[in-house]
Amino acid sequence: MDDSVTKTPLLRLHDVVKVYDTGEVPFTALRGVDLEVETGEFVGIIGKSGSGKTTLINMITGIDHPTSGEVVIDGTPVHELNENQLARWRGRTIGVVFQFFQLLPTLTVLENVILPMDFCSMYAPKERVDRAMDLLEQVELADQANKLPAALSGGQQQRAAIARALANDPPILAADEPTGNLDSKTADAVFGLFERLVMQHKTIIMVTHDNDLAARVRRALHVADGEIAEERIHRPRHGA
Amino acid sequence: MVAPRWRKVGRDLSTHRFRTALVAVSIAIGIFAVGVVMGGREILVREFDADYAQAVAAGATYYTGPFDDEVVRRAGDRAEVSRAQGRHETTLRYRWRGSDDPATLSIVAMRDYADIAVQKILPEGDLQWPIDRGEIVLEGSALQVGEYRVGDVLEVETADGTKVPLEVVGFAHDLNAVPAQFVGAETGYVAFETLSDLEEPEYYNSLLITFEQEDISREDASRLAADIRSDVLEARGVAVFGTSVPEPGSHFLGDIFKAVSLLLLALGVLSLALSGFLVVNTVSAIMAQQVRQIGIMKALGGRTGQLTRMYLVTVAAYGALAVVLGLPSAALAGRYFTEFAADILNFNVTSYVPPAWVTVLEVSVGLVVPLLAAIIPIRMGSRMSVVRALNSTGMSAPSFGHGLGDRLLGLVRGLPRPVALSIRNTFLRKGRLLLTLATLTLAAAVVMSVVSVQGSINRTIADLEEWWNYDAQVVLGQTADSAMVEREVVQVSGVTAVESWSGHPVAYTRADGSENQSMSLFGLPYDTTFVRPRLVAGRWLQAGDTDAVVINSDVVKDEPAIALGQRFALTVAGEERSWRVVGVIKGQLSGAVIYADRDSLGDLLGDQGVNRVLLRTELHMDDAQQAAMEAAEQALDEAGYQVVSTRTQSGLSQTISEQLGILVTFLVIMAVLLAAVGVIGLTGSMTLNVLESTREIGVMRAIGAQHRSIYQIFMSEGLVVGVMSWGLGAVLSYPMSWLLTGALADSTQIPLTYEFSWPGVAGTFVVIALVSAVASVLPASRASRVSVRDAIAYE
Ligand SMILES: Nc1ncnc2c1ncn2[C@@H]1O[C@H](COP(=O)(O)OP(=O)(O)OP(=O)(O)O)[C@@H](O)[C@H]1O
Ligand SMILES: [Mg+2]
Repeated sequence: MDDSVTKTPLLRLHDVVKVYDTGEVPFTALRGVDLEVETGEFVGIIGKSGSGKTTLINMITGIDHPTSGEVVIDGTPVHELNENQLARWRGRTIGVVFQFFQLLPTLTVLENVILPMDFCSMYAPKERVDRAMDLLEQVELADQANKLPAALSGGQQQRAAIARALANDPPILAADEPTGNLDSKTADAVFGLFERLVMQHKTIIMVTHDNDLAARVRRALHVADGEIAEERIHRPRHGA
Repeated sequence: MVAPRWRKVGRDLSTHRFRTALVAVSIAIGIFAVGVVMGGREILVREFDADYAQAVAAGATYYTGPFDDEVVRRAGDRAEVSRAQGRHETTLRYRWRGSDDPATLSIVAMRDYADIAVQKILPEGDLQWPIDRGEIVLEGSALQVGEYRVGDVLEVETADGTKVPLEVVGFAHDLNAVPAQFVGAETGYVAFETLSDLEEPEYYNSLLITFEQEDISREDASRLAADIRSDVLEARGVAVFGTSVPEPGSHFLGDIFKAVSLLLLALGVLSLALSGFLVVNTVSAIMAQQVRQIGIMKALGGRTGQLTRMYLVTVAAYGALAVVLGLPSAALAGRYFTEFAADILNFNVTSYVPPAWVTVLEVSVGLVVPLLAAIIPIRMGSRMSVVRALNSTGMSAPSFGHGLGDRLLGLVRGLPRPVALSIRNTFLRKGRLLLTLATLTLAAAVVMSVVSVQGSINRTIADLEEWWNYDAQVVLGQTADSAMVEREVVQVSGVTAVESWSGHPVAYTRADGSENQSMSLFGLPYDTTFVRPRLVAGRWLQAGDTDAVVINSDVVKDEPAIALGQRFALTVAGEERSWRVVGVIKGQLSGAVIYADRDSLGDLLGDQGVNRVLLRTELHMDDAQQAAMEAAEQALDEAGYQVVSTRTQSGLSQTISEQLGILVTFLVIMAVLLAAVGVIGLTGSMTLNVLESTREIGVMRAIGAQHRSIYQIFMSEGLVVGVMSWGLGAVLSYPMSWLLTGALADSTQIPLTYEFSWPGVAGTFVVIALVSAVASVLPASRASRVSVRDAIAYE
């Protein structure tokens, strides 16, 4: 509560612990993580395989529940929400981008982008197509709007997935290795898109393996053994 | 614009056409079963009842000496009687289309066919009443046994051997006539004037009445019938030879009918359950495949309720499709089925439209059952946490590793790899395995039970043939001297031995005063070798038995008061005498019969005459029996005896097995339908397995698996399931066939000797192996065609 006196961060993780007990012995994947992220930040999460990056970002998106600790985003105590409340909240607050794009195979690119608006009843149904086309325009896919995902290249699919993540104009974008399946040139283009979004005051949290990209984010968190072991701030572009 | 989530629903249905078809067909099978079976049953019962109601069945029938309309009027005037009808009935032999074999014709003559009070006869086709002299109308069931046509001439032989030609002018329907295929005798209707041509007196000799009281009990009916016999008939000097009082309101085929309708009900419920299994199976598999997409949609903001609704609509769409497929095909098959059953049971169907509730049931089977079946998988899928859903590989989670299955697998390590792999796969998909197994097991059990029921029928008939140590029987119109009759017949070529019996109608008066006239008393030589009695209790007849009789088990069942060691009174030839039961033998489908020594009985009654001749032939084959019997009939004929009826034992056992065969036919239909459901179920779940394993298969292909090994894996998987269901089905079929045989025996009143059919079990093994191979071919070859690229591109 003292924090509120100084300033309220957009996102705050406090002493987040995650224990998986699906295996034979319980495994602690996160050991009391504390993290604060401000609006408009571009945060990169890096670390060795198995260090807990995906687990961490799942805590932020509410895709998974912490075993203990608090996750408060934009004033919402995420750890207290049930599945349904989470889905609704997530749909409006966080755009999720997956490593494997995860477009629904039987819907066209355009329909994939409209889907989150449909689920969260955002925008008047008439506006949805226009808005989705605008988003596809932004990711330079307007000409592919009516194709099925299978007909798109990996890079195109990922850009479509980003457009979909932006559908409800969420303040935060969370991406788990969005470039993991792309060649370096395409990865560069996707990264460029993220940088533009940050300039439009979106907050982006991105897990990546790519050291080059990690070097280009403003704030890089190094995760090791379920803890944030190191934090680096690169050439600041705008004040915090 | 349609919201994209609903587009996804539509697109998923249309993209996965094969899967959609599979689910729709699975559901349609349930609709089909309900439509055909329940619909068929309802139509049969309704039409049968309507036919029965219009036919006005007799409450009592008297077989009498000659009487006239005055007697009919007097009977009808009785307060207890609502209608009375007199008719002339006689049984004669006839030849048809130059055939040498005479056949038996039950001839009925009435004064006015257009105005029948009891046991109505309906003209069929363009037939118009009246029937003219020299014409005959055949009961429609004749067409089930011979290709009779209008214009055919039947050459009917009268009592003194004159041949009278009667022209067939049409067909009529008499629900209460015993169908030709059941008795081996056609029924024909002639004008009263024709009687004189047939050398029959122009009088009535049977009186049919109906009772005023509609819900009369059989006891009351028997009592009333006895009153009317003495007050109306005997009081006017009309001799009564026999009275028949059937169970009021029940048709003589009613028991078979009840058995059929019971079977249909059982079949309906079973196939409904099986189709339910199929639907649960398929829907769960589809949900398993959709889990990852559910995860994505949840990550994008989709709520449980929204997702649940999407999948419920998907399932409802499958249901709607199934209704579109199932309703018309059920209507069509139901019509064929009803026609078939109505033909066999000889009744008219005026409308093939099932009652509305059956249609409602069909639609709800199509829509509600799948939704119910889908609720659990849908809830599980749409409630799954996002992480789990996203991490799902699209295959059902292998809860494998610690369980019993794993240890079992330890035992099969010596097997060739594809087989071992397929067993592993089979166990991996436990839930689906259980459902498929349950479906196939039930189907296999029913098939094996039907075989056992048929086996029991064969056994019963074999027992019967064991009891009959003779080949043919000739019944005479009047009594004759036994030595003379036997001498006549033994000369006939092909006949090796002859014995003559006396048969007497008897009446037994129960303690409550009601009368049973449906038993017979036979006098036969105590040392007969023509039957081989199987004693249940007591002893067989001996020399010097005067008032001692042996009864069969049907007597014990019908009249519990008559028991071993007891004395009882029986009216024979108009006089009541006391008898002593010394033995009980197993009944052999001849109804309730009392046996006494022929000569002692003759002394007692003061009449040594016999009226039936049993003969044994040289060759115990049907043709030889037939030939010898005809020769015997001719010899007796020429010697001046009137032959009333003849039968060969092989012909009789054929008739009996045909009667039971009707029920077996229905059982076979049932078994085939269930087997079809089982096979579709197996194909369905194999297909789902292949769909789910696409990625696995791709990986196996990528690491060098050949088309052939993949093919083998899935083929052996299907076979493993088939063989397992055979084993379980065999175990289940033991009690099932026992119950089924009992139910059939109860409902047909034909006591069947139960016998479990081991050859049936073995034969079913072969069938199941073949069928499960066939069911696996398509999915297995589909699997073997999966390429590495397909696998990676999949979802
Ligand atoms: N469902 C689970 N059950 C048990 N252990 C898990 C589960 N998910 C992850 N883990 C374990 O938690 C640890 C962290 O996993 P996480 O997926 O967060 O790693 P990561 O840093 O994202 O790795 P990568 O770079 O390979 O994606 C790993 O050691 C993993 O084995
Ligand atoms: Mg990860």
